[in-house]
Amino acid sequence: MSVRRRKRVKAIVPTASFADIAFLLNIFFMVTSNFIKEGHIEVKQPHSPEIEAMKESQISVALDKDGELWLQGKPCPVAVLEEGVKTLIAELGDKTVMLKIDKDTRQEKFGPVFLALSRAGAELALIGQKEKE
Amino acid sequence: MPLSRSRPFFEPDVTSFADIAFLLIIFFILTTTFIVPAGQKLDIPAASADPAKAEDKQLTVTLVAEEVHYGSEGARVTLDELRRNLFGCNFRAKPPDKRIVIVNARADVPYELYFEVVMAIHHADGVLALLEEEEKAKK
Repeated sequence: MSVRRRKRVKAIVPTASFADIAFLLNIFFMVTSNFIKEGHIEVKQPHSPEIEAMKESQISVALDKDGELWLQGKPCPVAVLEEGVKTLIAELGDKTVMLKIDKDTRQEKFGPVFLALSRAGAELALIGQKEKE
Repeated sequence: MPLSRSRPFFEPDVTSFADIAFLLIIFFILTTTFIVPAGQKLDIPAASADPAKAEDKQLTVTLVAEEVHYGSEGARVTLDELRRNLFGCNFRAKPPDKRIVIVNARADVPYELYFEVVMAIHHADGVLALLEEEEKAKK
């Protein structure tokens, strides 16, 4: 009796579309990534047990350890802060301003910033780090 | 007459493209840091509010250097005592105009202390009021 051997079919995984998928994923990540505008600004955040995670707002003001003021990651003198924030509020339609101030900054520096933002009609979101109670 | 030669079909090798792309994805995934800001939203009455109202006997917290002074008598308190005192005011049961707490901070007060005091006021349902420089001079 003759036994016929079956021919084995070589299994091939089609990988041609892998590159397309991977590049599409890359493009997705690149488009949806939100890059940090204020990476160059050194701010040591203050601590408090009463703060919680919050939504990031579009307007950001920072006062660094040297007392330099930054609006949207760009240097901004305190004299023009009010006008700058008013313009941004009108453009973006969002009143919330994220305020990052270095914890060692003195009142003589941050006081005028608070007043200018208050005059601009901004709603302040003070940024800090949560401290365990 | 020369016969047209059939040209060999060159197909670029794209098998390594997927590897490169996946390596790029792994790089992005590993180097990405998701920053969720933590903080507190504050309602601060307009700085140009009627100064006559500020003259009313509002609750005042005075900050001098690293010290916290509470109330009209200016008794020195710790941050925990301040939190207890503010909760004792029961702001939640009061109308908004009676919730105002004036924070009078001197020029040498560090932001960390100011931040903690402001957070304590907000947590106790108080409303922070800012003092203009002219008003400060009066006080």
